[in-house]
Amino acid sequence: MKKHQTSAAIISVLTLAACAVASATFLEHRKVEPIVSGPGVSEIAKLSKWYPGLAGTPADTDVYILRGKAPGASMLVLGGTHPNEPSGFLSAVLLIENAVPVSGTLYVIPRANNSGFSHNDPQEGAPTGYHFTLPDGQARFFRYGSRATNPVDQWPDPDVYIHAASGQALSGNETRNLNRGYPGRTDGTLTEKACYGITQLIRAEKISISIDLHEASPEYPVINAIVAHERAMPVASQVVLGLEFSDIKIGLEPSPKNLRGLTHRELGDATDTLAVLMETANASQGRLRGRTDEALVLTGIDPYYVKAQKLGRLYVPYDEKGHPIEERVGRHLTAIVEFALAMSSEYPDSPLEFQGVPEYQALAERGVGAFLRTAP
Amino acid sequence: MKIIYLAIGASVLILTVWNLWTEKDWRKQATAAMVAVPLLLRVLLIK
Repeated sequence: MKKHQTSAAIISVLTLAACAVASATFLEHRKVEPIVSGPGVSEIAKLSKWYPGLAGTPADTDVYILRGKAPGASMLVLGGTHPNEPSGFLSAVLLIENAVPVSGTLYVIPRANNSGFSHNDPQEGAPTGYHFTLPDGQARFFRYGSRATNPVDQWPDPDVYIHAASGQALSGNETRNLNRGYPGRTDGTLTEKACYGITQLIRAEKISISIDLHEASPEYPVINAIVAHERAMPVASQVVLGLEFSDIKIGLEPSPKNLRGLTHRELGDATDTLAVLMETANASQGRLRGRTDEALVLTGIDPYYVKAQKLGRLYVPYDEKGHPIEERVGRHLTAIVEFALAMSSEYPDSPLEFQGVPEYQALAERGVGAFLRTAP
Repeated sequence: MKIIYLAIGASVLILTVWNLWTEKDWRKQATAAMVAVPLLLRVLLIK
């Protein structure tokens, strides 16, 4: 064997070894961590039940249905639209594992963009996931995913993404953003098909109110806020007042009519549901953050955001205490309960009432782990 | 479209590996190997 062939052989072996290690890491990310059904869960369906075109694809996802004993309105909660925004996903998980509807029906999709949980974004240095310790000592692990559908499942991206229903032009990678694809279509991309499935669920089940849970960078103007479709404004206004009584400051923004493809616009326009979106403050997805690790995801403590706050660059208060996940999940869950109260007040003939949802103060004192169930 | 892009990726991967084995300078061989890693992972639909 010639000298250069020997070096080629050695380099090839090293390369294949590197590929094997990297592959194991990437494939590990596709494992789905369990969500334990709580006492309120009546049925677990697949989104393909409402749009069979999703069956067998990475976009098909679990829909948890929690039916109350008494009839009433219905609420859809979307967690994991952006899998790098953990408070939305975790709020959905805590609803599934704890909530018991008294009247009405609660639909929860914890992984709205299922494919987005199977990878994370390159060049972001994001952690693989985060842990919570349960009272019995068990650790529950959850993945920190990507904002968008896995390119392995939907590739290539176009240079410019054109929103099908409006012709709105966005940057090409937004083609994999679930919250730019609504109301979706059957002959579109995988992401648009997932959007269509969710829209079909809302139409078929006559969902009264749809809540899309998000997080935003502390430097993003729409934060600690509810964004509401114009038909949802009366109910959302009541929620803002209710949260103020609980000493939770939250803004209320009208859904812009010219910003297309998002839940709070398209679901409100394309269906009869009252469409709202909620944001909390997540430093681990911000541009100004420092070290990005599990601690940042869970505590939000970041010296660079404290400095940015002092320079007046942020849209949310920020100090050395950060914004812990308990606060962010607590905001979402408290608002969801307030939405149920507001719906019952606005539409007394079709009440919506939940029990067992972890309260803001209890989350702050006992932590998220205290409200997670032991996984099998 | 995805099939076409995978075919392009596979073609570039083959050329890169061919370059790795015919190149005389080990440093350029190492460079070719580094280029091959993401191509291989994408062609196998791993990343």
